[in-house]
Amino acid sequence: MKSIPRRTRAALWVQREVGRVLSFFWIPASAFALRYVMGYRIKNAARLRKRFRALVRESDEPILICANHLTMVDSMLVAWALGGTWWYFFNYRRMPWNLPEYRNFASLWFARAAVWITKCIPIRRGGRREDVSGVLKRVKYLLSRGETALIFAEGGRSRTGRVQIDALAHGMGRLASSVRNCRALVVYMRGDRQLSWSTVPAIGDSFYVDFEVVRPHSERTGMRRSREYAQQIMDRLVDLEDKYFARRQ
Amino acid sequence: MSRDETFAKVMEIIGRYAKNQEGLEGASEETNILVDLKVNSARLVDVILDFEDEFDIEVADEDADAVNTVGDAVTLIEAKLA
Repeated sequence: MKSIPRRTRAALWVQREVGRVLSFFWIPASAFALRYVMGYRIKNAARLRKRFRALVRESDEPILICANHLTMVDSMLVAWALGGTWWYFFNYRRMPWNLPEYRNFASLWFARAAVWITKCIPIRRGGRREDVSGVLKRVKYLLSRGETALIFAEGGRSRTGRVQIDALAHGMGRLASSVRNCRALVVYMRGDRQLSWSTVPAIGDSFYVDFEVVRPHSERTGMRRSREYAQQIMDRLVDLEDKYFARRQ
Repeated sequence: MSRDETFAKVMEIIGRYAKNQEGLEGASEETNILVDLKVNSARLVDVILDFEDEFDIEVADEDADAVNTVGDAVTLIEAKLA
């Protein structure tokens, strides 16, 4: 993947730094909304965050978070589950960049402003290939600078309520294969009351979250390499889901 | 292989993934694969991997970025075969 123009790099730097300054407002406000307005709770949050922080301390290598997708607030929940609140003030580059669907999150000016501040780069899923590629190039650049990004392993919220293998997001493999030393952090998250996909999880829901680090590999080149990377990440996500349902029985 | 032959093979491959089967009949080089033929973006990757097998070529992700219409696909394949 070719690099991005200097002007785009500068724009990303400005976005990141403005977001960082305002993070003392927006991160606690987001956490407050999740915890006290929606009443959400992360199970074993302390142990989960300890694991994530240990992973971050282990190496400076970029982390691409690859999560399952059931609701429109999954990315917020995953970020909160892994890092908590105050920790991000001191580890702002570990607050993941997100790729929200433009039509859902950025079609109005105030929504655009909000996602811009909160480390988001809106993407039009199924849009013009050049536009999608432009977003992926920006994320690749950020990852190569040691930032963290979050991408969903499925092309959209799962319509079956289970990880949708046939909706494999190729961009995930493309990013993982094009960024040197990139670690894929495969995250499976599900609320106890989440039976299928929805706009937001049920109020007061408790979330099971588990993750594993994957370092995909392939002898192939071109698109097949990206496909194999994406497939290996997806396979691990399915394993985590199987583990979740096995524990519930 | 002529451009028409390449076009016919491309349409045959796209046909396996198109949700809009009726759109295939009047398709031309200007037909948008995602919008007009309703091939979803995940399946577009399968389409291009099928091009690789059918035409014995290798396509990079960057090359695939230029594929929006059937004509774009034909042009890409011809460039790879040249």
